[in-house]
Amino acid sequence: MTNTRGTTVILATAFAATSLLLAACGSTVNSATSSSAAAASPSTSVSGSASTSASGEASKACGKWGMAMNAWVGYTASAQVVSNVAKSLGCTITQTKLDEAATTYDAMEAGSVDVVIEDWGGGRWKEWVDRGAVKELGENGNVGLIGMFVPQWMCDKYPDISDSANLNKYAEMFKTAESGDKGAWYEGPPGYTTIGEKMVSANKLNYKVINTGSEAALIDLFTKADKNQTPVLAYWYTPQYFNAKVKLCRVNFPKSDWTDAAKASGLTDYPETTLVKLATTKLVESGDPFANLVANFKWTNADQDSVSADIEGGMTPEAAAQKWIDANPDKVKAWTGQ
Amino acid sequence: MTESADPGASAEAAISVRSLWKVFGPKADSIVGTPLAGLSRAELLEQTGCVAAVRDVSFDVAPGEVFVVMGLSGSGKSTLVRCLTRLIEPTAGSVLVSGEDILKASPARLRELRRTRFSMVFQHFGLLPHRRVIDNIAYSLEVNGVKKEMRHKRAHEVIELVGLHGYANHYPEQLSGGMQQRVGLARALAVDPEVMLLDEPFSALDPLIRRDMQNEVKRLHRDLGKTMVFITHDLAEALKLGDRIAIMRDGAVVQMGTPAEVVANPADEYVADFVRDVPKSHVLTLGAIARPAEPGEYLDGPRLDVTTLIRDASPVIADASGPIVVIANGEAVGVVTSDDVLRLIASEPTASEHEAR
Amino acid sequence: MTTVRGLLSRRWVLVLIVVITWVILAAALKGVSTLELSTAADTPFTAWLRDLAASIRGNRTKSPAFLYFFNPIRLGVQGFIEPIRSVIAVPAEGDLIPLFGWLGVVALIGYIVYATSNLRTSVLSMALVFGCGVLGVWADSMDTLALTLGAVFLSLLIGFPLGVWAGLNDRVMAVIRPVLDLAQILPTLVYLAPLALVFLIGIASATIATLIYSIPICIRITAHAVRSLKAGPVEAAQSMGSTRWQLLTKVQLPMARQTLILGVNQTTLAALSFVVIAALIGAPGLGKPVIDALTIRNVGDGLTAGLAVVLLAVMLDRATTAAVLRSQSYVPVAGPALIRRRIGLIGGGIATVVAIVLSRNQLWAAVFPPQLNFGEEISAFFDTIVSWVTSTFDFLTTGLNTAFTTIMLNPLEGLLANSPWYLTITAISLVALIVGGRNVAVLSVFLMLAVVAIGLWHDTMITLSQVLLATAVVMVVGVVLGVIAGRSERAERFLKPVLDAGQTLPAFVYLVPVLALFGPTRFAAIVCGVFYAAPVVVRVVADGVKGVPSDMVEAAVASGSTTTQVITKVQLPASKKSLLLGANQGLIFVLAVIVIGGLVGAGGLGYLVLVGQSKPELTGKGLAAGLAIVLLGIMLDRIAHASAQRSDRSSS
Repeated sequence: MTNTRGTTVILATAFAATSLLLAACGSTVNSATSSSAAAASPSTSVSGSASTSASGEASKACGKWGMAMNAWVGYTASAQVVSNVAKSLGCTITQTKLDEAATTYDAMEAGSVDVVIEDWGGGRWKEWVDRGAVKELGENGNVGLIGMFVPQWMCDKYPDISDSANLNKYAEMFKTAESGDKGAWYEGPPGYTTIGEKMVSANKLNYKVINTGSEAALIDLFTKADKNQTPVLAYWYTPQYFNAKVKLCRVNFPKSDWTDAAKASGLTDYPETTLVKLATTKLVESGDPFANLVANFKWTNADQDSVSADIEGGMTPEAAAQKWIDANPDKVKAWTGQ
Repeated sequence: MTESADPGASAEAAISVRSLWKVFGPKADSIVGTPLAGLSRAELLEQTGCVAAVRDVSFDVAPGEVFVVMGLSGSGKSTLVRCLTRLIEPTAGSVLVSGEDILKASPARLRELRRTRFSMVFQHFGLLPHRRVIDNIAYSLEVNGVKKEMRHKRAHEVIELVGLHGYANHYPEQLSGGMQQRVGLARALAVDPEVMLLDEPFSALDPLIRRDMQNEVKRLHRDLGKTMVFITHDLAEALKLGDRIAIMRDGAVVQMGTPAEVVANPADEYVADFVRDVPKSHVLTLGAIARPAEPGEYLDGPRLDVTTLIRDASPVIADASGPIVVIANGEAVGVVTSDDVLRLIASEPTASEHEAR
Repeated sequence: MTTVRGLLSRRWVLVLIVVITWVILAAALKGVSTLELSTAADTPFTAWLRDLAASIRGNRTKSPAFLYFFNPIRLGVQGFIEPIRSVIAVPAEGDLIPLFGWLGVVALIGYIVYATSNLRTSVLSMALVFGCGVLGVWADSMDTLALTLGAVFLSLLIGFPLGVWAGLNDRVMAVIRPVLDLAQILPTLVYLAPLALVFLIGIASATIATLIYSIPICIRITAHAVRSLKAGPVEAAQSMGSTRWQLLTKVQLPMARQTLILGVNQTTLAALSFVVIAALIGAPGLGKPVIDALTIRNVGDGLTAGLAVVLLAVMLDRATTAAVLRSQSYVPVAGPALIRRRIGLIGGGIATVVAIVLSRNQLWAAVFPPQLNFGEEISAFFDTIVSWVTSTFDFLTTGLNTAFTTIMLNPLEGLLANSPWYLTITAISLVALIVGGRNVAVLSVFLMLAVVAIGLWHDTMITLSQVLLATAVVMVVGVVLGVIAGRSERAERFLKPVLDAGQTLPAFVYLVPVLALFGPTRFAAIVCGVFYAAPVVVRVVADGVKGVPSDMVEAAVASGSTTTQVITKVQLPASKKSLLLGANQGLIFVLAVIVIGGLVGAGGLGYLVLVGQSKPELTGKGLAAGLAIVLLGIMLDRIAHASAQRSDRSSS
């Protein structure tokens, strides 16, 4: 009797090796260019891969590029529309979900993504631009507005609340267990552009800044406040699909200029932000059709909201983007030049 | 310190131990050879935090002899036997095996000696659970680089020798305790060692199995004539197997001698306590009670050798009408009557006394 | 016994005196020297760290440390993981499926599990992997599985030899042990940022972070396996003249097999449990949807992905546990069982090969069939449940939250954070002195001064107040449930699956529902901490209560004690050591989650770590916060440890 355990191992290894050998042979599924196969594919992180060989022959050679996918829906809408158009140009676009700002810039420098289609960062990329890793490609047409918001019912009931000068008068109403004897000022998530602490001190407000930590927290706060008619003062922004669901009312503070992070002191309110596109130097200098597309991409808040609403309504991002593309051939043509 | 080997060490002896010390503790090296060595166990522990598990032990084991070391748990007997092959490194002294000082052997030489000259049997068997019986037995041959075919051939030989026929492909967990210790014995015999060290090999076994195994050892010793150092806490076992017995207490040898000597003349209270319950007739030979013939005694009774156990002689003595004659080397050395035997038995504790303890 | 009680109570009286004095002084000096710092503000130390981080980022393509050390490691790890992903998870460019389609993967997993354990576990494993497809997250699940298996392989490759070495050599163990201890108390969140700084965001960083988490576990168990071997066979093998190498390969390792496989089990589960948090620095797979659930409020998808993590965890756990059980006996199968098994192996092997071929050539076997994909339905179902629960119990949760925050949390935070820093340091070190002794008190002072020097004192105290309260709640829950489980086997059987699930479910998964229930509050973080730490504490306490000798309990019952008396006078005092161990474990587990609680409004150090990760101008602050968390963790662990040892000594 020989060592039986050894035999077992040999048997198992032999089969494992056979499987790998078999795998090295051709796959009819992979070599098939069936478009039904592509449609059946679950939403993998690689979009456009299956149809590459089908449409790739027709167009100019387009390479393989990475698109950063930041979390919010508006971003998803823009990025997916660009991805779908790129796909039709024969590009292979790998979408990578990433946190915005530093995380994404690092990923760009590392070469794992090439495009940020909507950046709110107000110049935080400067360090990466200075090193030559990233280039700013100008506005994408969307205008963002960050601010402090209350549910619409409060503006209806207390019309003067939308003027920040009256906030202290209402501070009592916004008190929670978290804020102690001050009003609660719910600040945006860590990755977002926030100047709450400065606004509170510059406007001499009797409020305590509470770091909410996530967009989910803000959505919960507003949803609850809207439903239960309870007061809340929190960070929010447009364009955002959520604004279509729950009516919010912006509190206006004395205007100030904050385009330069160095002139940060004395900030009193968020200005309108023109959102910009970023790309890796590698992509910009490649002369690739995709570089051209990203450089030309530009659309309005209304465009983005319509795609976002479809996504929120339950369509897949791919389908929602394609719906908009099919409905707006002229705009797409302007980006691609075809 | 290890240089202080006693010049009296015997090169002819299979094992010759001189002034062996093993001290456990923080300053183990700074005790032997100082006045501290004279302290009692408790005092030493208190003053230095050290324990002298073996203190100043010397003995010789003749080739072919079964030398039993006996003592209660904690007396240092297991440490002593491990010092002999440096499984525990002695603190001081010398151990000569066939004239070679083990304590000076290099690690490679020590391995060599362990592979070929010594073998050991352990109280809890120490079998390798992941190996079949045959591969357990062949282990020391395997680590010595013997080819598989050769070592299995040898292993099969010893398997037959210890009565494990048909168990070669079993795993230790499939065997009873007694069978496992047969594997232990077989493993120790496989290398055909000069010296076998048995550390309480049967203490973990049931009494009936223990008796079988003791007889097995006796048989193996008779057939193979190996030198054995046998550790036990069981006096009956010591008396049954030992040619000579060393009794240990608190790390030191308190008495050394043949079973008869130990039983007949306990060196101190400690030993006396040990041997009190031993039926002397089972241990003592006629030589211990033979006396010169008194005038008028007939010397034509049955003749028995001086080495005959009294127990074995008693039927003859009882049947004889007069005294029996004790002879040594064909010469009469004395006589024994049934009265002498009765006197000896009368000096033993009674059954009730026995139970009362 | 009475003297022990006397000693104990005297100690607690002293603690009480310190605390009362502290409370009075804190009330008088409220708001003085709190060292509060706004989020955006830097201290000299954080500014230095920020510049250091920026210069590290700037040097990635130039500095020799990167060119010859970090970058090769990054590329090496990446080059190792990517091929594994390409087999089961990521299709090659232009391909529809990876090397194997879903059917092939299911069959291969089934076959491997069958070969290493048994048929039943194999079927279960296949069902669980299949379940990931039903949940609609096949691709993400495979990516997670690939990364986990790759990380486990690397962990074993590094951890196994080190563990054996530490098992054999006391000096190596002495060097390694403090590192292992530190790794055990290090909240996972803190080493993400430094790793991302040198290895960039991506698979390499995610894998290396996973390794840092799982290798210590591998080393610990391997060393234990070697150390805890029965002495007999080892000594016997030595007596037969084995060399050290022979001893290791022919005796120690084969004998330790079962514990070593247990090490594989623990290493695997550790690696898998890291998946979600690793997604913060670029791990592909199931982690991202879980975190997205938080960032864009998508409860359903998050829970679905979380459930898939649990399915994978159960699969890997059962498969490796079955292998452990199978290795309990050293006797291999023989006779008819062996023949059956060989037939099974050959038949299964053929079936597997067929399945793989099919999975590469038939669409239904290649891409998980959409008809079987119920991801959207399940996600919608979870959404419904969570919104029903939150709207139904809103009144309850709001009240609970307000009451707890006002009565417990705010006063404690006021005491720790809103009184002068020197007062808090004095008070904490006095408590440490009384319960833990001089060494711990000195260490505590040193660690707290370091926190002050870093400049994050106020935030650290905010985090500390949450950790202490959450631990207190965990201990109450843990002792109650632990005693119940320890006393009744039925209760234990009932609790076991709950505890198992609680221990495998990534903490992130319940952040969102808890957030929905309690809003962005410190209380939400405390609730998460309690959820995360309770299973461990319950286990430890239950084991302690079960470990009380039955004759002790019988004696108490025989002398007419009521059940309450038996529990309070016999079972709890006798399992004091387990209670203290549970408290220590609870503290560490709670700390790990409270810092993640930065995502749900807990503020404090955890929030700063998260901010530092996304805002380059605050990188220094984030790194410093990570450091402060480590210092806090060491302090809490040492105090708990020393007080456990002390009471152990006084009762013996």
